Amino acid sequence: MRGLDTLSMLSRMALRNLRASRWKTLIVGGIIMGGAFLVVVGTSLLDSLDRSMSQSIIGSVAGHVQVYSAKSKDELTVMGSMDMEAADLDALDDFAKVRKTLMSVPNVKAVVPMGISGAIVTSGNTIDIELAKLRELVRQRQDGDLSAKTTQAYEAQKGHVRQIVQVLERDIANIKQLQDDSALPPEDEAAVHKAASAPFWAAFDETPLESLEFMENRLATLAADADMLFLRYMGTDPRVFSEAFDRMRIVDGQTIPPGKRGFLFSKYTYEEQVKLKTALRLDKIKKAIENRGATIATDPELARFVRENSSQVKELLLQLDQLETDVFRRKLQGLLESPETDVGKLLATFFDTNDETFPKRYAFFYEELAPSLDLYRVRIGDTLTIKAFTRSGYVQSVNLRVYGTFEFQGLEGSPQAGELNLMDMVSFRELYGFLTADRQKELDELKASVGARDVSREDAEDVLFGAPAEEASGGTVEASATGAVEAQAALAGLAGRLQRENMADRVYDPKNLEGGVVLNAAVILENAKEKDIERAIADIERVSQAQGVPLKAISWQKASGIIGQFVTLMRLVLYVAVLIIFVIALVIINNAMVMATLERVQEIGTLRAVGAQKRFILGMLLVEGLITGAVFGTLGVLLGAGLVAAVGWKGIPAFNDIATFFFSGPRFFPALATSNLVGALAIVFLVSLLSSLYPAYLAMRVTPRQAMQAEE
Amino acid sequence: MNTCITSRRRLVRSAFACWPLAAWAASLGVGPNPAVAAGLEQAQMVKMLEEIDERQRNQGDWQSLAYIEQKEKNKVDVVYEALVFRRSQDQKFMIVFAKPKASQGQGYLRLDKNLWFYDPSVGKWERRTERERIGGTNSRRSDFDESRLAEEYDPEDSGQEKLGVYDAQVLTLKGKKGLDLAFPEIKLWVDKATLNVLKRQEFALSGRLLRTSYYPKWKKVYSESKKAEIWYPQEIRFYDEVEKANSTLILMKSVDLRALEPNLFTKAWLESRSR
Repeated sequence: MRGLDTLSMLSRMALRNLRASRWKTLIVGGIIMGGAFLVVVGTSLLDSLDRSMSQSIIGSVAGHVQVYSAKSKDELTVMGSMDMEAADLDALDDFAKVRKTLMSVPNVKAVVPMGISGAIVTSGNTIDIELAKLRELVRQRQDGDLSAKTTQAYEAQKGHVRQIVQVLERDIANIKQLQDDSALPPEDEAAVHKAASAPFWAAFDETPLESLEFMENRLATLAADADMLFLRYMGTDPRVFSEAFDRMRIVDGQTIPPGKRGFLFSKYTYEEQVKLKTALRLDKIKKAIENRGATIATDPELARFVRENSSQVKELLLQLDQLETDVFRRKLQGLLESPETDVGKLLATFFDTNDETFPKRYAFFYEELAPSLDLYRVRIGDTLTIKAFTRSGYVQSVNLRVYGTFEFQGLEGSPQAGELNLMDMVSFRELYGFLTADRQKELDELKASVGARDVSREDAEDVLFGAPAEEASGGTVEASATGAVEAQAALAGLAGRLQRENMADRVYDPKNLEGGVVLNAAVILENAKEKDIERAIADIERVSQAQGVPLKAISWQKASGIIGQFVTLMRLVLYVAVLIIFVIALVIINNAMVMATLERVQEIGTLRAVGAQKRFILGMLLVEGLITGAVFGTLGVLLGAGLVAAVGWKGIPAFNDIATFFFSGPRFFPALATSNLVGALAIVFLVSLLSSLYPAYLAMRVTPRQAMQAEE
Repeated sequence: MNTCITSRRRLVRSAFACWPLAAWAASLGVGPNPAVAAGLEQAQMVKMLEEIDERQRNQGDWQSLAYIEQKEKNKVDVVYEALVFRRSQDQKFMIVFAKPKASQGQGYLRLDKNLWFYDPSVGKWERRTERERIGGTNSRRSDFDESRLAEEYDPEDSGQEKLGVYDAQVLTLKGKKGLDLAFPEIKLWVDKATLNVLKRQEFALSGRLLRTSYYPKWKKVYSESKKAEIWYPQEIRFYDEVEKANSTLILMKSVDLRALEPNLFTKAWLESRSR
């Protein structure tokens, strides 16, 4: 009871003292309140960001844990590293065994096979693409398909190609009229005139392949809009992937059907790399105006986009056949109220927009012009040829049907996540070119048949030119018999052995996915708190080691590379900011309380004179500090909680791509957790206590005599 | 002037008659000649390049079977057997891979200024550049094609060097404007006695050394179309100067100079191999 009485008395005295020095109390309290407010708001926002981002990353591609071969040279990053190169991982030969091992680990719910690699896809220019379409139709007809449908497509495509040649011819005439320096060399000009002539087209049906070769070699090079796509792709089992990762969403088209070879573009890559450049530039202008409030008049980048769109209309013209050209002419003449008949010039005027005309022309482009254009170089449903250098060095190509586009909800605006496209695992394995025993044997035999010696670069000059011996002579003269039967034999053997097959149509047994090579795998856990993930990592490494499939397991945060580090970095920044703020607060509070204590030397001395112990004085000052902290800290916490709740209710809109990435979506909804409130109060109490210690120590040292001296 | 260089064609036709080439080389200033000290004249160097080209030029059709082996750090060796076809008349060129099976029927076809790549497994043609690494190795189209140094480059004298037991004339070649060359600058070590190229270094526009090649063995065969012998490097070794551990070996296993099918250098022909 005595303790409680003392505490009650200390509290009453503290309250009286606090009231007496009202202004100082308010200043100190204000600082504490601000600090508490900041801690609640900051930690709530950060925890919410952390939660949404980790959910996005875990739910999109990383899973809770990623595993790969412990023998790998590089560390795995599923969302790209700083150098954007795929990690050099040792392949896991038998996925079935890996899956079995992982499923025997407690808490593992699902395992998703994966492999990441990349390839450059070169599409020809617009003329190349149109000529390739015509070549395919010629092939079909030569293979005996003379159906009405094919014939109709063939005639239509012929018409389109003829229109392209006419565009080139008009282009030459325009350039000549302007006496431009970019005039074509005479042989190219002659080639265009030849391809535009009536006799050329009259003879086309007789020798279509020759005519095509002429145009492919002589005309297609005159268009310079060829694209080079760098595609980063993940091979996986599409069904297992979409089931395991709930953040994956098909945007256009459909997912890759089971047993089919196929490719899904990430929406980000599809827009940024595959879309018609003119349309992409228009989109970028619109986005900049809407999101940043930029203007064409003041923003040099937007002005450049306008200039490029206005000057690069040939790519559009080449896409149009005669009928579409007429439609474009009519529509543009109407919109621009111009009597001009040259569609190229009309398009150049149309794209020469300013801030006033842009919105209307943007809408006009998509509503009136885009339906006649190939907005994407590769359309959903097209066959995409990916050519990659395999790990063992071969050039490997596969045809894949593009089934659609997808995005990871919450990571839509992230270049790192957005650059990852998906393909079926069977195609991935083929492109990855894992060297089978048969292939290895074939290579060994080929090498052995030649018996070439190895010469290191350091010894090359000595070994190769060291002696004028016959075998190592730079000038050996050796007459050889004309002809080489080996070459003929090799060539003869080539014919008839190759079977061209449309791999995109081939169906594979989904069971093929079970075995075979994977580079890594995502592990989804039943329970996934931080400690569960840590335990799972340790268990996986232990179990896999014991079962002879040594795996390295890493958390989602590590596997997601630089993206995963963003949250850690932001948390670090906030903690440092909070620390700095509270250190400053501590100094200010401490200073204010020391001043207050010095002003109360007489009072403290009197208390000591009437028998108050040092402990009582210490208690009084500490209680004063704690009451200030409790009252103002609680107020700050309540204010912070109110703000978080209000913002959480309405949400904060993402103002650009980076914000969309951090917010894991178009709006961010922060939520309040008990830990944020408790944490803030704990920090406030600690700071209050710490800042009261030195003034309390000073007060303890006050004696009645000092108090009397102070009076004098 | 030596009669050997008054008529290039005559020289080649009577190559043996004028042998050893040292005497001819001396007339160019690459032999033990007082003119050497003062360096080579531009015209002499151009003539030298023309001779290097001419000795290798077939003036007809060419077919060879080449073995290509690529070594890279931490990777399995890549090996190919490829057929190389050339036609001097219109500078057409084609490589078709015969082995291993995974690459069979893939091919490069050069027509006019285009270098096409064809893959029978996907049935598609792609336009590539002169910088394309053939089959992913460190060899380029130009390594298998006719030597066209005089047409493509302007030479500069870079002195003389000893290369093993050989005395070599070193030339620096700068690419002529407007040509799509795999390398804009080349340094060439030419055996003074025989005019065989022994060593070659290729540089990027920035001046960075990209590749060093050695040509230790030269062979010659008699060409009916040229009515003279032609020379070809039987062994070429490339050492990548960017990825230092990478090297490529090319062995010309056999050469055939008989006339090829007239329609060989067409897309249709290469397609027909695999259809």
